[in-house]
Amino acid sequence: MEAIYQYAWLIPVLPLLGATIVGLGLISYNEVTNRLRQANAVVIISSIGIAMTYSFALLASQIQGHAPYRYSFDWATAGDFHLTMGFVIDPIVSVMLSIVTTVALLVMIYTDGYMSHDPGYVRFYSYLSLFSASMLGLVISPNLVQIYIFWELVGMCSYLLIGFWFDRAAAAAACQKAFVTNRVGDFGFLLGMLGLFWATGSFEFTEIGERLSESIANGSISAGLATLFGILVFLGPVAKSAQFPLHVWLPDAMEGPTPISALIHAATMVAAGVFLIARMFPVFEHLPTVMDTIAWTGAITAFLGASIAITQNDIKKGLAYSTMSQLGYMVMAMGVGAYSAGMFHLMTHAYFKAMLFLGSGSVIHGMEAVVGHDPVLAQDMRLMGGLRKYMPVTAATFGIGTLAICGVPPFAGFWSKDEILSSAFHANPALWAIGWLTAGITAFYMFRMYFSTFEGEFRGGDMAMRKQLKLATLPNFGPGAMDVRELDATSEGEDEGHDDHHDSEPHESPTTMVLPLVLLAIPSALIGFLGMPFANYFEAFVHAPGEVVPTLAEMAEEFDIVEFGIMAGSSVGVGLIGISLAVLMYLQRKIDPSAIAKKIEPLYNLSLNKWYFDEIYDALFVKGSRRLARQVMEVDYRIVDGAVNLTGLATLLSGESLKYFETGRAQFYALTIFAAVLGIVVFFGVS
Amino acid sequence: MDSLPWLTAIVALPVIAACAVPVIPDKEGKTLRWYALGIGLLDLALMLFAFVKNYDLSNPGFQMVESYAWVPQIGLNWSLAVDGLAMPLFVLTGVVNVLAIAAAWNTTRKPRLFYALMLVLLSAQLGVFAAQDMLLFFFMWEIELVPVYLLISIWGGPKRLYAATKFILYTAFASIFILIGALAMAFYGDNFTFDMAQLGMKNYPVAFQIAVYLGLLVAFGVKLPMFPLHTWLPDAHGEASAPVSMVLAGVLLKMGGYALIRLNMELLPDAHIYFAPALAILGVVNIVYGAFAAFAQDNLKRRLACSSISHMGFILIGIASFSEVGINGAMLQMISHGLIAAMLFFLAGVTYERTHTLSMEKMQGLAGEMPKTFALFTAGAMASLALPGMSGFVGELTVFIGIANSDIYSNTFKLGVVVCAAIGLIATPIYLLSMLRRMFFGQAGKLELDVPTSGWLDVNPREIAITACLLVPIIGIGFYPKVATQTYDTKTTEVASTVRESLPIFAQRRQANPFLSSGLFAPDLLAEVAAPDAPEDA
Repeated sequence: MEAIYQYAWLIPVLPLLGATIVGLGLISYNEVTNRLRQANAVVIISSIGIAMTYSFALLASQIQGHAPYRYSFDWATAGDFHLTMGFVIDPIVSVMLSIVTTVALLVMIYTDGYMSHDPGYVRFYSYLSLFSASMLGLVISPNLVQIYIFWELVGMCSYLLIGFWFDRAAAAAACQKAFVTNRVGDFGFLLGMLGLFWATGSFEFTEIGERLSESIANGSISAGLATLFGILVFLGPVAKSAQFPLHVWLPDAMEGPTPISALIHAATMVAAGVFLIARMFPVFEHLPTVMDTIAWTGAITAFLGASIAITQNDIKKGLAYSTMSQLGYMVMAMGVGAYSAGMFHLMTHAYFKAMLFLGSGSVIHGMEAVVGHDPVLAQDMRLMGGLRKYMPVTAATFGIGTLAICGVPPFAGFWSKDEILSSAFHANPALWAIGWLTAGITAFYMFRMYFSTFEGEFRGGDMAMRKQLKLATLPNFGPGAMDVRELDATSEGEDEGHDDHHDSEPHESPTTMVLPLVLLAIPSALIGFLGMPFANYFEAFVHAPGEVVPTLAEMAEEFDIVEFGIMAGSSVGVGLIGISLAVLMYLQRKIDPSAIAKKIEPLYNLSLNKWYFDEIYDALFVKGSRRLARQVMEVDYRIVDGAVNLTGLATLLSGESLKYFETGRAQFYALTIFAAVLGIVVFFGVS
Repeated sequence: MDSLPWLTAIVALPVIAACAVPVIPDKEGKTLRWYALGIGLLDLALMLFAFVKNYDLSNPGFQMVESYAWVPQIGLNWSLAVDGLAMPLFVLTGVVNVLAIAAAWNTTRKPRLFYALMLVLLSAQLGVFAAQDMLLFFFMWEIELVPVYLLISIWGGPKRLYAATKFILYTAFASIFILIGALAMAFYGDNFTFDMAQLGMKNYPVAFQIAVYLGLLVAFGVKLPMFPLHTWLPDAHGEASAPVSMVLAGVLLKMGGYALIRLNMELLPDAHIYFAPALAILGVVNIVYGAFAAFAQDNLKRRLACSSISHMGFILIGIASFSEVGINGAMLQMISHGLIAAMLFFLAGVTYERTHTLSMEKMQGLAGEMPKTFALFTAGAMASLALPGMSGFVGELTVFIGIANSDIYSNTFKLGVVVCAAIGLIATPIYLLSMLRRMFFGQAGKLELDVPTSGWLDVNPREIAITACLLVPIIGIGFYPKVATQTYDTKTTEVASTVRESLPIFAQRRQANPFLSSGLFAPDLLAEVAAPDAPEDA
């Protein structure tokens, strides 16, 4: 069995090779490479396909109970200091590898359809492949430094992908925001990592955990300091997994093409934060304050995301906030010590959220046929409606995803969310209450989304609404960000001649897009059965290091049907309330949503404006740093430069400085000095 | 060892070749540029061959020593040698200069003088890194100023005279301290010598060391540049043409860092202990101050210049860390920044040839017309913001680990330094990414682009090749840092142990002398160092 482990490094290297080949082609033989189009896609898809097969082989081997495998080599040395890199294959890694590769593969197949008319088709594939490589590298990392390395690489890929449509001002701003926000988290991550290294002399997870608890026990490190380091490391996942208060980048990241929203911002990259918490579990579990911080951050994020998602009209933004909310669940699970439950929800969420995002992409693709390639129009649910008729497969799969995320049994989300909620209940009923309430809100907004998109009448032809939406976007652009005349021209053009250019009805997407949806629907519906509380195969396989897990037989024995009934019943119950409300408001239209919105206007505005986080951050940090930079420049120019200039150029400033520079006399003086030095040397040399 | 004077040949070749420039038959500068590039490549090939053949990586001492009495009356010796500090920077100098000559392919204004000066400049830089005689070092240091001054003042931008004058006044004035320091050290004690190895063996009193150290710190601080002596740099870069900026940022700034290690640390280790905390603080100021100053710049090259100031701060922190890892990181940061800064300044020049402006305010949406430039610029910016997988990250990470694990500072001091330096991690992407956003993103068409004579609107193959020559080592070091670190690791380990040997001596003196323990000097040194058996390792 050794052999298949020895070459496991191929899993990230294969997609990296694919990306490198295509990337080099783009730089050196741009036109030829672009003309080859699908040939590039084939190279990249097959490389990730091989990686996927390999991952499944490793998963199978791990399920059979083979021992974890570890390999490391010296990466950098300085004196006695050695930094090692390598890879590790254990149950959690093999599961993550399988999730990432399957989702990546399906997203890549989908991309062929979605991006078929885009001039950046090949570039997009190479980015996708680079991203997959970084993510896979992150997963197999055996120590903190290596995780940090891939962590940043993943962040860079997301920067490239969000800014993929570089001619859009909004995308340019969004990618920068994503990178910088993530860097804030990385700042904490790096400091925490250095602190832990200083305290324990190691970058290995288990070693850090053991030595840290030893040091705390014998008093060489205060528990407060250790907690500080733990929280600093946790800042990394806060940014990457879009947790409060660093969540602001995720919704903006929807400026990227939809396949990437599915891959990065739903299934894999944002899960990296949860994965890191899982990896750091041996360290965190000794630090109760850190665990509490993690749990509460998760709970707050879950609620915050759901409360914003209620009022979003952009289908992708709505999904983005729901992602944030679901990530909150996972982080909360980690914080209450429910390691397996958190990882299980990560897995189920990866599949159903990837499907939901790809489904939204399919919807947008269909809408673009009607309203044109304009994200403002194509993604707004107020222009959708009744799409089930035109896009039956998309609607069916989106429906399955909705049921899964709402926690309706027996779909995947039910099992994983229920497990988290019951763990939270045992840890702290207040956390459970937040999670329970959020589950209700989730059910409401997801069905609101489903109904507004797929049920009722198609509203895409509503010109008044279109104009209103276009106008609403205007203030969002800064001066010079977009040519206003151009905007008028496009909207007028559509008013007059829209029937000539566009269809009046959306259509179902091509097979390459629909196929991944169907394939993803299978795990979304069924994968939950791996983690039933009375037969939790998942927990038996993936559990915290050192944790003793009951065998399947014991689980079945311990299983308390009454408790399960109460927990599951309450969460299903609150979900049903949410669904019923959505039915009344958006399907049967018996309750007018706008009337309710009017009644609770401050709350409605709070949610619609995302709790004003962007505005606050803009005023505090963006404007603040600009002001600071300007001040630094002023100081530099007037004081530092001024002072040194005065001492250095006192003679020059004493009257005829300008003349001095203009006549080039300084030049002459410098040459004289130089000549004199040279002359002296030569003179002595000769004599 | 074979007896051929390799180093002398390598250092002297460009300047001798420069003497032949006036008599070379030339049509429109086309022969000349091949000539200059050929000399540069030959020199690079010579040094690579010589090092492969004669250089022993495991030996921390000086190698390939060549010493001839040159002007015995004033004690000047032509004494050259390389060790782990000099050798990597020697090669870096060769690479960056060859690429700078290739970057200056379309120089039409006074090509003869231009290429002659570039060659003289190459010799002087190599001389600085190889000189083992302090007077020779000073001599080379001064010679190098003249070509740079002329290159800026003749081929620069509109305010070139102001920038060039500022440059020459700053550096020439500051380098007087090198001469004073050299003379002071040479005359101290019984034997009069400028030889660095012998200077290092003298036992200077602490007060003397401090005085000389301070002088040298000013001289090298200007070059590095170190806050508050940095203000010449944005002006010089803002006005210099791209090839000169490449050399300036790629090599000349490293001379400051190199000299700090070579002279201040190795020759004056006792004084270094007093100044180390100050250096660490100045390093932090450099990082943060440079980053914010960069963010406020509209001129592309001034922004990159300020980013250099920011990155040089890591060298100061590494030097001040007193640990093998930290000094190793400082060295790596020098090499890495040399490559990255050269690449970014080169690409800025490429862009300037098309846009004829350096103001980012005026650019927008260049990506549509120049996608490859965009890709390469992005790669450069990523390298500069210390993206893992590229050399900048390894340099900065090593410095961070070095200072975090340094055992001579109090925890509070270290925490302060590390946290403040890490602010640079957040600030760097802000100014670099906003640079990319303003230049390349958005709707195109704000600027009329000019197709250069080569006929390529986007980067042409020559420009891609130059960038690749810089990008390949950047990524290579990023992927496997050992390729770079093994060239100097034995030496930096030795430097660290040299300065650490002074720690117990310093502690005794501090106890004896109330002036030194007054808290003004070395305010944050840990009390434990007072014990003579201070722990040797982190």
